[in-house]
Amino acid sequence: MKKLLATALALTLALSLTACGGGSSETAGGNSEETKKEAVGGQTGSGEGNIITIWTSNELHNQMFEFGEKAYNEKHADNPVKLKIEVYPNTEMANKLLIALQSGVGAPDVADININYFSNFLKGDIQLVPMNDIVEKELADCVQSRFDLYKKDSNYYGLPTHVGATVVYYNMEIMENAGFTIEDVNAIETWDQYRDIGVEVFEKTGIPMTIYEVSNQRPFWPMIVQRGGDYLNTDGSVAMDSDSNIQVLEWMKDFWDTGAVVAAPGGSTSVEEFWTWMNQGGCASLTMPSWFMSRFTNYMPDLEGKIAIRPMPVFEKGQPRTVGIGGTGTAITTQCKNVELAKEVLYESKLTYEANVNIWECLQFDPVRTDVWTDERLTAPMEYFYNESFFKIMGEYVDGCPSPVNADFSVAAQDLINNTVMYSVFVDGSQTPAEALKAAAEELRAQQ
Amino acid sequence: MKMRRRIMSVMVFLLFLLVSLIMLFPIYYLIIGSLQDGKEIFRAGMKFFIHPREIKWSNYPNLFTYNDGIYTKWFSNSVFYAVAFTVCALVLSSLVGYGLGAYSFKGKNMIFVLVLAVMMIPLEILMLPLYKLIVKIKLINTAGGIIFPFMVAPVAIFFFRQFVSGISPEFMESARIDGCTEFGIFYRIVVPLMKPAFGAMTILLAMQNWNSFVWPLIVLRDSNKFTLTIGIASLINPYSANYDVMIAGSVVAILPILILFLFNQRFFIAGLTSGGVKG
Amino acid sequence: MNQNREIRSFRKVLYSKKAAPYLFCLPFIISFLIFFLYPTINTILMSFQKIEGFNNVTWIGLGNYKRLFNVHFYNALKSSSIYMVCMVSIMLIFPITIATFLNSKILKFKNFFRSAIFVPTLTSVIVAGIAFRLMFGETEAGLFNSIILKLGGEIIAWKTGYVTGMIMMVSLAAWRELGINMVYCLSALQSIPEELYEAADIDGANAVQKFVFVTIPQVQPIIIYILTLTILNGYRMFTEGYVYWNETNPGDIGLTIVRYIYQQAFQRNDFGMGSAIGVALLVIVLTVNMFQLNFFGLFKKEDAS
Repeated sequence: MKKLLATALALTLALSLTACGGGSSETAGGNSEETKKEAVGGQTGSGEGNIITIWTSNELHNQMFEFGEKAYNEKHADNPVKLKIEVYPNTEMANKLLIALQSGVGAPDVADININYFSNFLKGDIQLVPMNDIVEKELADCVQSRFDLYKKDSNYYGLPTHVGATVVYYNMEIMENAGFTIEDVNAIETWDQYRDIGVEVFEKTGIPMTIYEVSNQRPFWPMIVQRGGDYLNTDGSVAMDSDSNIQVLEWMKDFWDTGAVVAAPGGSTSVEEFWTWMNQGGCASLTMPSWFMSRFTNYMPDLEGKIAIRPMPVFEKGQPRTVGIGGTGTAITTQCKNVELAKEVLYESKLTYEANVNIWECLQFDPVRTDVWTDERLTAPMEYFYNESFFKIMGEYVDGCPSPVNADFSVAAQDLINNTVMYSVFVDGSQTPAEALKAAAEELRAQQ
Repeated sequence: MKMRRRIMSVMVFLLFLLVSLIMLFPIYYLIIGSLQDGKEIFRAGMKFFIHPREIKWSNYPNLFTYNDGIYTKWFSNSVFYAVAFTVCALVLSSLVGYGLGAYSFKGKNMIFVLVLAVMMIPLEILMLPLYKLIVKIKLINTAGGIIFPFMVAPVAIFFFRQFVSGISPEFMESARIDGCTEFGIFYRIVVPLMKPAFGAMTILLAMQNWNSFVWPLIVLRDSNKFTLTIGIASLINPYSANYDVMIAGSVVAILPILILFLFNQRFFIAGLTSGGVKG
Repeated sequence: MNQNREIRSFRKVLYSKKAAPYLFCLPFIISFLIFFLYPTINTILMSFQKIEGFNNVTWIGLGNYKRLFNVHFYNALKSSSIYMVCMVSIMLIFPITIATFLNSKILKFKNFFRSAIFVPTLTSVIVAGIAFRLMFGETEAGLFNSIILKLGGEIIAWKTGYVTGMIMMVSLAAWRELGINMVYCLSALQSIPEELYEAADIDGANAVQKFVFVTIPQVQPIIIYILTLTILNGYRMFTEGYVYWNETNPGDIGLTIVRYIYQQAFQRNDFGMGSAIGVALLVIVLTVNMFQLNFFGLFKKEDAS
């Protein structure tokens, strides 16, 4: 028996040794010691000294916080701050944070919370710290609606990372094959014109004009927000089945029925299947937020130079040509022991002029400060995107652009659109747009 | 007759060859994926066959340099947790299994029914209270937090109990006459007899721990303490997918448990056979 | 003096046949009380509460249970049940068949085949899921779609169809679990006494008759064990769906009961509702398994022994 166990032990350890080049057994031993220490000493790491712990679900965001760390330390060389950044799987991070806040221990000082989960953290006793002082300092230069997303009872609980200005990405190679020039594309001002051109593109090339996400909510969401609507009203009451929303979904369904629109392969635009398909010239245009630019440059190298960015068409003249969609709110938890320090670091990471330039340079996000949109580091032409600058094209539309409403039932409302409405209208066709939206609205009301 | 047998034999062989190929294909698919450029997979989809010249070995060395060698840390953590868990679970579960299998005493059936009940409860429904408890007893972010709640493993108890029931009571009786303590009987007489059972359970328990996901994720706070499974899952991200590390990392994550199995295979089958789970 | 007495009484315990079994069972009893009973009671209590944030708890009686009976819960129950039935049918047929061949003289290279079929069991769902996601990719380059295309079919949107979605989950789970169940069966087969087959030979039984009349009755206990575990795992399934639909769940395709718990508790911050679903799941699993075990008489056997 002993021999067997010993063999098993030796084997596994030997394995880890050969695989890790010798460091592992020490680590393993070190672990158990640490374990003992912590079991006795209780919580460590959270806000002790000048250490700030940060949870994020995106490795790239580290660069944003590290920028803030550096900027802070340049000003406070005598008493520098040190960041401890942990990267977790996206959804799981939100769950973990929720459990930690629910039970009152184990949360980090600072957390990046995906907009899709943020409203969960604004329910009941809010376990986040208001950051009005640092927000109000800079708000005048920023897109206000992006901060309203994380606001409750006039307290700002989250700092946005980007505007997420929604645009239409045209694949000019396909458009030109169908006989349309960039001037024709420039002339598209209404969704009806867009649809007419789309049908023609489809007839001439056999390539669909665009896609709908059937397990997500674009382009439906940006379209209804553009018309001043949303799933919920600002007071939290259900607006899912408003006439305006039904009209949008019916318009989408009419366009769909022409055959010029298909479901996104994989069901959404954030899966590998879609990227491959799009890269191979799957469709002629795509309505997505600005942050999709980095998806293009990272995953769709064959489209270099072919993608032209243009503002969204509108349903009626006078409506905004773009809306802010998506995002991550950076929040400070009530378990943070040094709130002022955390605030200062976040201010340096996300709100200053230079921080906003850094957000563009490192993350390829359109920053929330509109005054940097004319900085020449942002307005340089981008070869990938038709050798144009995103900021030159979109600059005039971004100021005052609307964002969705974020209320108690936002998560539930989005789940319903993602999981039920889009599916039953576009995949199995079991419901008309009006029926699907009404059913979803009823379900939401029943939960309230 | 002999001819027919031979044809049958060849047919069955071919059938099994096909089954084995199907079973091994996903693993082949991962390996072949790990030898391609992640960006290329997005661009053109994954290839089933690649020319030896196209092989990109660098994904493997990159595992060790990626993010200051964090993958190596995840790997050794996983090994450490799995070894610690397996050893604890083997010792405790075999004790309980022996108690349930070798004695008749008041409450025995009750305890056995409770063991079955624990086997049937999904962890997910206990997660929040269990987390609160782990926080209360200061085990959060420790190896103990991962290991303690599950180290008295009902499946293993069940298995050891079945095994011990198959051992003739005369062995123990004669030891008792020789003046052995009850624990001595267990340690000197029963444990050596249970060798194959330990072999089988080592693999099952190590596998269970190595592959667990939800609970370690909730308990661990520090990415330096992550397991491989969590680390790999954190690379599946709609906002920054890192296929190079993810696929090669997955392949390496299979290796330790595979080697453990290949070395222990003989004990594994034998252990399950001799007594084992007979209901 | 005192110490001596203590040592003596400790000795007594060590030699006592009466106390020993309780001592041996102590680890389980402690672990059961702390890590199982206590959280379970907590969960049951929480299922009668509305939990809004930290320390903000109100008793709402059956409120959560009333909300439980909605279309999503039925969808989840349906998916979990269909999945469970698929898995049970697969696990009742294939492992024993494969094991029978692996145990017969007719097959060569048994060790290789046994290992090959077992290896998938060693992978985690996360790792296996990565491979299966790639294989079920919805473009022309995805493995299954490219085969279908070559055979002249049209590409399939796997993730957005109910049937195809079920196929994705069942194939992943079956691939991983076939091996372990095959080994269980193999171990049962190897412990069947050879004399039984010799007797059957004398009676002139053919291979099929031997399988039906000798093998099946002999391996019945292991089959029941597999059945119980498969039912249990079927209802507990979460990760197999999660690896395919980790953010959203179109048409409730990957929505199983445990996923529904996860969604309500974590994605909606409604731990009361999550607990109520959990209690419902507990009742379902216990009922199905009790029924099944009674049907096959496992408990009767336990009583007898």
